[in-house]
Amino acid sequence: MTALVVAGLSAREVSRRRTAVLLVIALPLWFYLVRRDQTGQSIRMLALGIGWAISTLTLFVVNASRGVDPRLRLSGASVTGLVGGRLLAMSGTGALLALGYALLAGLDQDVPHPVLAGLIMLISALIAAPFGSLVGSLLPRELEGALALLSVCAVQMLADPAGLTAKLMPFWSVREIGTYAVDGGDISMLWHGLAHAALVWLLCAAGTLAVFSHRLRLAHYPEP
Amino acid sequence: MSDWPDRFHAELVRLGVPGPRARRLTEDTAAQAAETTTDPAGLFGPAHLYARHLVTELAAPVGATPPRYASGPVLLTLAGVGKRYRRRTVLSGVDLTVRGGEVAAIVGANGCGKSTLLRICAGLTRPDAGTVHRTRRVGYVPQDGGTAGWLTADEHFALFGAAAGVVPGRARSTGAHLAAKLAWRPEPGQRAQQLSGGTRQKLNLVLGELHSPDLLLLDEPYQGFDQGTYLDFWHQVHAWRDAGRAVVVVTHLLHDLGNVDHVLDLGER
Repeated sequence: MTALVVAGLSAREVSRRRTAVLLVIALPLWFYLVRRDQTGQSIRMLALGIGWAISTLTLFVVNASRGVDPRLRLSGASVTGLVGGRLLAMSGTGALLALGYALLAGLDQDVPHPVLAGLIMLISALIAAPFGSLVGSLLPRELEGALALLSVCAVQMLADPAGLTAKLMPFWSVREIGTYAVDGGDISMLWHGLAHAALVWLLCAAGTLAVFSHRLRLAHYPEP
Repeated sequence: MSDWPDRFHAELVRLGVPGPRARRLTEDTAAQAAETTTDPAGLFGPAHLYARHLVTELAAPVGATPPRYASGPVLLTLAGVGKRYRRRTVLSGVDLTVRGGEVAAIVGANGCGKSTLLRICAGLTRPDAGTVHRTRRVGYVPQDGGTAGWLTADEHFALFGAAAGVVPGRARSTGAHLAAKLAWRPEPGQRAQQLSGGTRQKLNLVLGELHSPDLLLLDEPYQGFDQGTYLDFWHQVHAWRDAGRAVVVVTHLLHDLGNVDHVLDLGER
């Protein structure tokens, strides 16, 4: 029950940050518009923009909960419930954003695999939630966290997709599947991308859980 | 809420009120609600909490003489507790025993480790030396923070209630009832960040008590309170004590010490 209540209230918290939400919705649009004349690039940039926006929003949500979490633990909440609830809320928010932009791209561009184009946006949003959580758990101040996310996203955009650096970045799967979806290519690109996305999701979610389990651990005293 | 009187009566009996007296109190309470044409739950809050409150009020003797209460079982014991941050010793050899029905105050200069000691009692910080024995159900009210700025009071009640395994509806009504005891009626839609400092501390207090802990740990909880709320706060502390709970409060106000059973002076920094 805790996870569902945390998810519902986290979603409500996010919806009240109206300016931030508007900026989050707009951010991928700018990425898309500047490359709108090139289908492949615009779709990949759009997906990366969704990833950046959702990870940043998740970072703020995680940081905003710092004061409350220890008290919730004392009241009986589990770390899994708290972390899982927020991931659920942010993944849902990301999925909605991805759905909206998938429809836009489907209407505005001639994509060979429109479903796969939508899939990379969804994958980007789903990876962004645990990734933003992990960065938020490691960097407690919003400015540092936001700069770290900016650095990662910038490297992801600029690095050669075939190189090792790009593969070590969390959103490599977006570029890989994106290339298959828009430009065509071997089906193995799709499987490699999906495997990379699953691995990144697992690592980020497990890392977040590990950091929060350590930070929110309670001393268990014997009863008098 | 038609079964409110039944639950109220059952709780009174469970708390040791003899059957006929419990029945009379239930009838009086129902009549009081009928006079205002209000649902008893709306007027008095959850039946179990109002029964507990009423029993506490009835047990308090009338008059100016400070009442003495029988102490209950030990709920917190610290023996030789110490804490260091790098090379700096913050706490050393701290001993404290608090029983149910007692209030203990932790006093001392700024930076002497009062808040650290309270966090150790809560289990949020581990001591480097000594032993701690503590009852399982504990409520902790930090000096500042501890709330989510974008959530309303009602949402806080639901959130903290969920953490304690209480369904949101019941957590909300319990929270509203506890808030009323501090002369506060949360406004729907008002977020925590829009509350004044004193009202936010009331929210903090309610959240600390929401899951009915046996031991309450309060870190200067009255910051921003006006005089009336401050008096309400100590009245509430005494009500907790009379209900058999233990309260440990960090304070720097020396005139508070007349209200407590034990004083732990951590001295200078």
